Amino acid sequence: MGTLTGTLPLPAFGSRVAVKTRVDYQNSQEGALVRRAQSGDEAAFREIVEHYQSKVFSIIHGIVRQRNDVEDIAQQVFAKVYFSIRNFDFRSSLITWIYKITVNECFDYLRKKKVRKLVYESDLSEDEVRRVENTEPSVDRQAPADETLARRDYVLKLLSRVSEEERTLLLLKEVEGRSVEELAQMTGMNENTIKVKLFRARQKLVKAAQRLDRAPGLVAG
Amino acid sequence: MHQVILDRLEEYLSGSPSSREFTTHLESCEECRAEVQEMKELSGALSALRAPEEITPSLGFYAQVARRVEAQRPRSPWSWVWLEPAFGKRVAFASLMSLVVLGSYLITRETEYSAGPPRPEAIMAQQAPADNPDMILATLASYEP
Ligand SMILES: [Zn+2]
Repeated sequence: MGTLTGTLPLPAFGSRVAVKTRVDYQNSQEGALVRRAQSGDEAAFREIVEHYQSKVFSIIHGIVRQRNDVEDIAQQVFAKVYFSIRNFDFRSSLITWIYKITVNECFDYLRKKKVRKLVYESDLSEDEVRRVENTEPSVDRQAPADETLARRDYVLKLLSRVSEEERTLLLLKEVEGRSVEELAQMTGMNENTIKVKLFRARQKLVKAAQRLDRAPGLVAG
Repeated sequence: MHQVILDRLEEYLSGSPSSREFTTHLESCEECRAEVQEMKELSGALSALRAPEEITPSLGFYAQVARRVEAQRPRSPWSWVWLEPAFGKRVAFASLMSLVVLGSYLITRETEYSAGPPRPEAIMAQQAPADNPDMILATLASYEP
C-alpha cells in the first residue's frame, strides 16, 4: 500500500503526507522502540515511561491541578499504555497516542471525583449540606476567589461536552501550541481534516458555552 | 462560517498575521465576525489548562508503574506460574516432588495388595450388587475376621 500511494498521483495532497509519515515513523528509532514494547520487551516499555513521564506529569498538572493526585493519574496512564501498546497502529505518533490516553484519564478522574462528591453530599441532611456549602469553598457552587481557577473550571466543563478526539485536538492546538501542519503529522490526518475537525469542536464549545451562560445550573458539571 | 474564514481560522486564532482576504471578509460578514469572536474568546480560555510549573516525577516512578501493571494484569488460573519465573520454578519443583512421593506411595500400596491372597472385603465388594449400597454395608458389617 505504501509503494502504491507513493508512486500514484493522488488527488489529496494530505493523504500522501499521512502515508509517508506513517511509513517513516514505523521505521524510526521510536517506531523500533514501540515494536519492542509490543513484543513484551520490558526494557523498551521502561524507556517509553522514562522518556514521556515528565510530559505526562505536566499535561495532568495543567488539567487536574491537584498536585497530590498527579502521580497517581500518571501511573494509571502508563499502566494503560502498557496494556494497550499492542493496539498502537503507528497511525499517529506515540506522543499523540499517549497524550490522548492522558487527557482521557484526567477527565475520567474529574468525573469520578464529581460522582464521589455527589455521593458524599447526598449522605448529609439538608442542613448539613447547607453548612458544607457555606463553609467549604466549592468551585461548582460559589464564585471562587481565584479568577484563573474559575476559568479553568469553566473550560473543563465545556471540554467535557466534546468527543475525545476533539478534546485532544483542541488541547494539542491551544495548550501545547501545535500548528495545523504539526497536528497533521502527529495524527496522520491531512491538514484540511484537522481544520474541519477543529472547527466543529470549536462550534460545539461555543454552543456549550451559550447553554452554560444561559442556565449554569443545568449544564454544570 | 464561510470557507475563506474557515481556511485561515486556525492561523488567526494562533495569532499569525491574517491575510487581507480574511480581514476584508470579516469586516463585511456579520455572521462570520460573531462566530470568530466567540471562538477567539474560548481559544483564550483554553490556555488556562497550561501547567503552572514543572513537576519532576519521583525517582521511583517506574517501579510504581511496574507495581500497578502487575496488580492490574488479568490472571487466568494458570498464568501466575509463568508470570514470575522464579516463583513458577519453585511451584513446578514442588509439584514434581509431590508426584514423586505420591507415585512411590502408590507403588508400595500396589505391592502390598498384590502380595498374598486377596483380602475378604475386596472379594465381597466385587460380589455385592453395585446398585445397592445398603447391601455392601450389610455385608461389610457382618464380616468378622
Ligand atoms: Zn462570512
